[in-house]
Amino acid sequence: MRRRALAAILTALAAPAAYASAGAAPAVAAPAIEQASLHASFTPNRLGVSTTIAFGFHLQTTDGLAPPPLTSIVLHMPAGMNYTLTTLGLAICQPAVLQAQGVKGCPPNSRVGSGNALVEVPFGTGSGHEIPEIQAVAGPSHNGNMVVLFYANGQTPVSAQLVFTGEVLPDSGAFGSQLATAVPLIPSVPNGPDVSIVDVNTTIGPAQLTYYKHVHGRLRPFHPLGIGVPERCPHRGFPFSAAFVFQDGSTASAATTVPCPPPVKHRHK
Amino acid sequence: MIVLRIRAHRSLAGAAGLLGAAACALALNTGGASGATAVAARTITLNESGRLHLTSHHGFHLNEQGTASGTIKGSIYIHLTVSSTNRVTAEVSIYPSNGSLTGYGTANYRSNGGQATFSGTMSISRGSGHYAHAHASRLSFSGTIQRSNDATTVHVSGPLSL
Repeated sequence: MRRRALAAILTALAAPAAYASAGAAPAVAAPAIEQASLHASFTPNRLGVSTTIAFGFHLQTTDGLAPPPLTSIVLHMPAGMNYTLTTLGLAICQPAVLQAQGVKGCPPNSRVGSGNALVEVPFGTGSGHEIPEIQAVAGPSHNGNMVVLFYANGQTPVSAQLVFTGEVLPDSGAFGSQLATAVPLIPSVPNGPDVSIVDVNTTIGPAQLTYYKHVHGRLRPFHPLGIGVPERCPHRGFPFSAAFVFQDGSTASAATTVPCPPPVKHRHK
Repeated sequence: MIVLRIRAHRSLAGAAGLLGAAACALALNTGGASGATAVAARTITLNESGRLHLTSHHGFHLNEQGTASGTIKGSIYIHLTVSSTNRVTAEVSIYPSNGSLTGYGTANYRSNGGQATFSGTMSISRGSGHYAHAHASRLSFSGTIQRSNDATTVHVSGPLSL
């Protein structure tokens, strides 16, 4: 579903001239193909323990330019990840509240991760602009599936506050679950092209999160439990893969693995 | 997937539970008085609720125990297995004073904030004592899990053949 973000307030970009220049590609040029790379990690990376999952991706075309605007990403996560005891997302944040007030309008116990991104305005400048703040919060479940809302607070080159909705779905084979996220198009100048996402890095897990609970009438802080690392590691590590769909219908994919943790050394008495 | 398992641990049932079980046993004995080889099946409507707390966990399994109330009163044990992000299986065992019942359920699992809910069906295929011949299929099976402490409520209802 295409979701326009709120009206973009632009910084002073020399948009028209640059945009025209960018569009003047040679007629004989081979079409660029989108490329993706993916990385993932567990912190800590120990079998069977609560962890913070970090993942990120980089997108570009074969000629090194920014890709078309991204419209969806499906992140496949390894089988055996344990959702049984996680206390992430003990509260939920309503999307409308997140959109209107940002994460400060959401309950602290709804936060599930954070990150940042790099976007590029397709004006041929070639320079990326960081979105320093991406927050992930738990949203209302959809069809019984866990929902993660990503809130991106962009200031430059476009001032836009965006909410991406990711749904955790069951997967198959080497993958136990997938995070399917629809990415709203990010407008640049009025009637101009949408912004391209180049880099995203984010986490899902308890690192740097503090939750609160009432104990004997007092509010006590605690660290939530994250999703559990599988208790057994596949031969080649924990597999992650991602599939990307762009505004022009093109696609890209990438895969990576989190290496198996070193075996725990038992002390012999 | 949630599995509710009733284990062989008996606990003291309340006086009301004992009376209820005794009444049920009496009715069963009456129904079965036609001879040693012919026991007439009797169907009761099960309407069972349980409140449980977490006793242990391992991997994808949660072991819970608590008290069952309703048609059959006694201790209840549940062994829950979260088989995927939205499915659970359960083995549920109830130990009234005059026997035991064990059922297996599968349910859709929904996590929404601090509470998760599950809803599905359960069958009963095993029993002992007065419930030695108990069987049921497609019982309604539902409940909640408090995600902060994994305290569970469970509700099972439907026709049970004895």
